[in-house]
Amino acid sequence: MADDTVRDEEFEGFVQLRETPEEIAFEVRAQEGALWTGGRLLIGIWAFAFAALAFAYFYLRSANNENLWRPKGITAPTSAGAAIFAVTVACALLAIFGERRFRSGEALDWEVAGWTAVLGALVVVGLQIWQLTELPFFPGSSGYASCFIGWAVMNIALVLSGAYWLETLLAREIRLRRAVAQDGGAPRSTLPAARLFRVNLNGCTYFWGFIALVGVFFWVLFYVL
Amino acid sequence: MAIETTQPGGIEYPGEEAPTPLQPVSRRSEWLRPHAGWAIVGGVVGYLIGHWLGNVIASGYINVQGSGQNDVATVLGLSLGVAGFLTGIGALNYPLAKMIGREPPPAVPEHNWVRYFRMTEDHKVVGLQYTVGVLLFLFTGGLLAMAIRTELLSPSSHVFGPGIYIALVGEHGTIMMMMASSAVVGPLGNWLVPLMIGTRRMAYPRVEAFSFWIFLAGYGVILTALFFGGFPTGWTGYAPLQTQASGGMDSYLVGFAVIGIGMICAGFNLAATIINYRAPGMTWSRVPIFVWAVLATTALLTLATPTLVVAGLFGVLDRTAETAFFVNEHGGSNFLWENLFWFFGHPEVYIMALPGFGIVMEIMPVFTRKPLFAYKVAAAGMLGVALLSFFVWQHHIFQSGINPDMRPLFMLTTELISIPTGFLFLVALGTLWKAKIRFDTPMLFCLGMLFNFLIGGVTGVFLSDVPVNVTVHGSFFVMAHFHYTIMGGLIFALFAGLYFWIPKMTGKTMNKRLSKWHFWTFFTFFNLTFFPLFLVGILGQPRRVFEYAANLQTLNDISTISAYCLGASFFFFIINFIWSIYLIPHDAPDNPWDSRGLEWQTPTPVPWFNFEHIPVVLSDPYHYGEPDAPPVADLGRVLVSAGGAPAEAVGHGDVSPPGDGGDLDPRPPIL
Repeated sequence: MADDTVRDEEFEGFVQLRETPEEIAFEVRAQEGALWTGGRLLIGIWAFAFAALAFAYFYLRSANNENLWRPKGITAPTSAGAAIFAVTVACALLAIFGERRFRSGEALDWEVAGWTAVLGALVVVGLQIWQLTELPFFPGSSGYASCFIGWAVMNIALVLSGAYWLETLLAREIRLRRAVAQDGGAPRSTLPAARLFRVNLNGCTYFWGFIALVGVFFWVLFYVL
Repeated sequence: MAIETTQPGGIEYPGEEAPTPLQPVSRRSEWLRPHAGWAIVGGVVGYLIGHWLGNVIASGYINVQGSGQNDVATVLGLSLGVAGFLTGIGALNYPLAKMIGREPPPAVPEHNWVRYFRMTEDHKVVGLQYTVGVLLFLFTGGLLAMAIRTELLSPSSHVFGPGIYIALVGEHGTIMMMMASSAVVGPLGNWLVPLMIGTRRMAYPRVEAFSFWIFLAGYGVILTALFFGGFPTGWTGYAPLQTQASGGMDSYLVGFAVIGIGMICAGFNLAATIINYRAPGMTWSRVPIFVWAVLATTALLTLATPTLVVAGLFGVLDRTAETAFFVNEHGGSNFLWENLFWFFGHPEVYIMALPGFGIVMEIMPVFTRKPLFAYKVAAAGMLGVALLSFFVWQHHIFQSGINPDMRPLFMLTTELISIPTGFLFLVALGTLWKAKIRFDTPMLFCLGMLFNFLIGGVTGVFLSDVPVNVTVHGSFFVMAHFHYTIMGGLIFALFAGLYFWIPKMTGKTMNKRLSKWHFWTFFTFFNLTFFPLFLVGILGQPRRVFEYAANLQTLNDISTISAYCLGASFFFFIINFIWSIYLIPHDAPDNPWDSRGLEWQTPTPVPWFNFEHIPVVLSDPYHYGEPDAPPVADLGRVLVSAGGAPAEAVGHGDVSPPGDGGDLDPRPPIL
């Protein structure tokens, strides 16, 4: 045996695992459950993070120290804000629409929608960074300005994490396609890999719905109120 | 009765597939694969790059030129240092491979010592890594505590200046609180939960391993504060001191955020595992009480900690991008930090306390040979504490930043939380009632924990009361109170758990005499150290001040000398560990305590995959002293009986085969 491979003796002391078909089925169901739970927990984690930002917004707004919550005329660039909001919501709608088409067997529709959503997410990140360079106020000039900077940083992180999740699923589907082609394709296959993929996709779609809700909520806070 | 712990080997069952041989995997040289050495190199390189980048970006800023302090460079250096550390350990390999659609590589068992310096998917290795990591934190924080007590030997002669003293206090507090947040969930939660619920693996093993390595990176970040002049705020990091402080504050903010991410990951993985990977038959009413405690804690870890991370982000933005979240003069508010910090900080108290109670309630039935008293009340109490802990944070700011009219409300919620906490205490006492107790070392630590927590808890009820709170706020009374709950509660419970489970974790037996010496010295000197501090607190000695009234010297000296002895008592544990595990090792039997816990039904050492067959759980593990007690579980179709009915008394036909699930499967169908 070549030096760069693991020798069988390395497994001395380890009894080899004997999995019955029932045990394998149990493990797959457990993994499906874990993916479902993990997706929803992730939303909970981000929800509490953004709740902290919302708390900061309302706390500073109500405190209005030195009358510097939001001096008159101070608003983040509205056109960029509207574009960020619109593209974010569009990405989420594409993710949701794509998943519905996937569930009805149209994997290609989901792929197109998904890649478009990933591209849209990158556009959101680009717009958010560009908007930071065009702000008409100094970051520390008011409570509103501070919260806006905090929102921009957190929104970039949120959208990037959604884009990463979706991109990894799209890349995975490309590799999965051939493996499950004989079994009805990724939308229909009963093979464990396809089942896990579908649960993962479902979680990702919920996450994009959450991103859109966050976008709507903070758009109202920063541009409408 | 003797416990059957053997598992069948080499028996063929109908419908079983032949075992899949482990495939040789092509690997790079051992030294080229990611390990802790590369992580350190990555951390140093990352820090240097980040610091250089920060200088390029911000060295021309007016405030940087004026003060000579470049927080952008410090924050970027620390952040990229953490990223480099994680890259070096290989934490980013799979996340990057996922981007091109790669599946995770198959987990291959390793049994050489190098696995303890790598990212691994074996929860037992991660548990031991956490054990060493937590003890390292504890040792560092303990050394700092000795330095603090040394300064307080005399009211007017000084070892340190006030600046160094407050830096030591801050560093001690932060390290200890970070350590304590993972003290039980990290080592014992990761090691035990899969074994207790009858699964072979964690739901997210890479997330679990990531949580440990980022925890370790956070430790490094916090330590760097000492090189940047420390931070003057204590562990609470209050603004406006936070905004005005030197570069050590950057280490505090980045370090807390980094460890916060680790805490979220740990909670995320454990919650998903407990909810989804319970073995067939492991219904919620059969889940071990320690697992309930960990589950309640994961709710706090995943939901409260994001607030801390965001608060840290705001602090970093204030110090680098010059936002004004915590600057009153620019439309911010320093009270905002206090609210965000304590919204995390109070649940943090229960992140520390709940697993400790879980350990005690798990261990006591074994040594009392009685069922756990009021199991369902205990589980409900833990969930009640977890829920209520989100509604009490403002009692930390009774003295500042709160509308006085709101004080009674938060006084009420704080007093309310003592009710479910009282349930937990009563469950422990009910288990002790009329029991013939075996006073082995784990049980002694459990009893010590109950004694200490009673004092810490009762003084906590006093402190929730607004008039008392206003009177003793910021004094050593508060300090003594939380040391009684955290050190007297959590650390005693941790040692109870370590002494109880070390035979299973290491396969070796600890020396009993040294263990008992450890307990009695630890218990005695803990109380002699901290009880006098209640008195000096009531007499008016403030926290975080390096001078005090001369009439308080005697009490302070008793405390200081006892603290040295308390620190020395840890050597009994260290010597015992080295002696029993390495120098004169004695192999531990599979179930030395005669426990019914599922984790004790596995062979020692526990195989890489935990269970040869996924067990079918038949009853909860607390039927001690019941002659007709059902067996705990069917392990590979050999019924296991411990302290209850003989195995042969229950027919094999009474249980479903592994994986069959059926009515025993506790989980709803997905999709």
